[in-house]
Amino acid sequence: MQRNTIKRLSGMCVSRYYQVAEHRFCVRGDESCFSLMANYQPFACADGEALFSLAISSGEAPEFTEELRQDDVEQMIVCGHTAAGDAVFGFVWDGATAGWLVCSADYHAGRLITTGQYTKLAIDNALMILFALATADKRTALFHAAVVSHQGRGYMFLGPSGTGKSTHARLWLRYIEGTELVNDDNPVVRVGQDGVATVFGSPWSGKTPCYRNLSYPLGGVVLLSQAPYNKIQRLGALQAYAALVPSISGKRWDARIADGLHATENALAMQVPVWHLECLPDEAAAQLCKGEINGER
Amino acid sequence: MRIKKGFVLREVCGENIIVGEGLGAVNFGKMLALNETAAWLWTKAMDLGEFTSDDLVDQLCDEYEVSHEEARPDVTAILDEWLKVGVIE
Repeated sequence: MQRNTIKRLSGMCVSRYYQVAEHRFCVRGDESCFSLMANYQPFACADGEALFSLAISSGEAPEFTEELRQDDVEQMIVCGHTAAGDAVFGFVWDGATAGWLVCSADYHAGRLITTGQYTKLAIDNALMILFALATADKRTALFHAAVVSHQGRGYMFLGPSGTGKSTHARLWLRYIEGTELVNDDNPVVRVGQDGVATVFGSPWSGKTPCYRNLSYPLGGVVLLSQAPYNKIQRLGALQAYAALVPSISGKRWDARIADGLHATENALAMQVPVWHLECLPDEAAAQLCKGEINGER
Repeated sequence: MRIKKGFVLREVCGENIIVGEGLGAVNFGKMLALNETAAWLWTKAMDLGEFTSDDLVDQLCDEYEVSHEEARPDVTAILDEWLKVGVIE
């Protein structure tokens, strides 16, 4: 019965609108797609002009020329382009292709072709890529980071996969009163016309279901690395820039994307305090970090 | 010689920095700070495409009041560093 219901509904395409970091986008698909998108619900918004749109449907592999493979721990993204100049991103999870995102050269209109395997993963990846690329020239950056809020400000923890970003965020939650988790994996930062940086929650949060439609002034950024001791130091602007760049999603081999991200990174490096915390996964690390950040205010 | 594909000169926090951004350079993973002369030479090298050490010495002498003898060691030192770091080939 359940199966029949889904099949009957699968023909009906609807459009839904979402707003993340004050950028509106549109997703078009059938009910089976939206049933996989509960994490977007807090970001649902009224219809209106969208910065980008994604249409989702099942289908066959597009023909494209491969440019680059981004190999991550569990997944791989194969990047390329079609003969007509559309950008293509193939999503491979655990050896199986979940789908392909084919989008216009300006990244404002995309379609996701799903294979029936790992469809949720394909939807999330396609929307993250479109979001990162369509907003790259709008002083917006999609980070790989964990974010907590404390006393009305957001603090972002950076570091390569496995460094302990989530662990450090949890130490704040446990030991520092008044701390809340804003996002555990993929927050968005925007630099306003006034130069002030704001950090936003998003529908993407890694393995932690923390999809909060919240925003805070960005109070500081902390680059983490593991050490057998706890030590914190403020980074200079150039070091700050170098710390920010690897934590931001993008397609830097597209010069327009690189230009846009550089403008955002440069503004952040000059205006937001950035620290390097070498740390153990313990309470003292969180207290040291909080103490240093509070001293800055 | 030529600048390797994917390396670009950017102004980062008021300084001239070479970063890897293009295909083949995205995993460069470091930044190279250039002084004003080196940044000027980078721009000239970019314009020339294929260049020799002598080409850059000529360019430097045309722009600045400096003799070939004075310019040559500076240009050689800069190019050696760029080769060592791997931003030219």
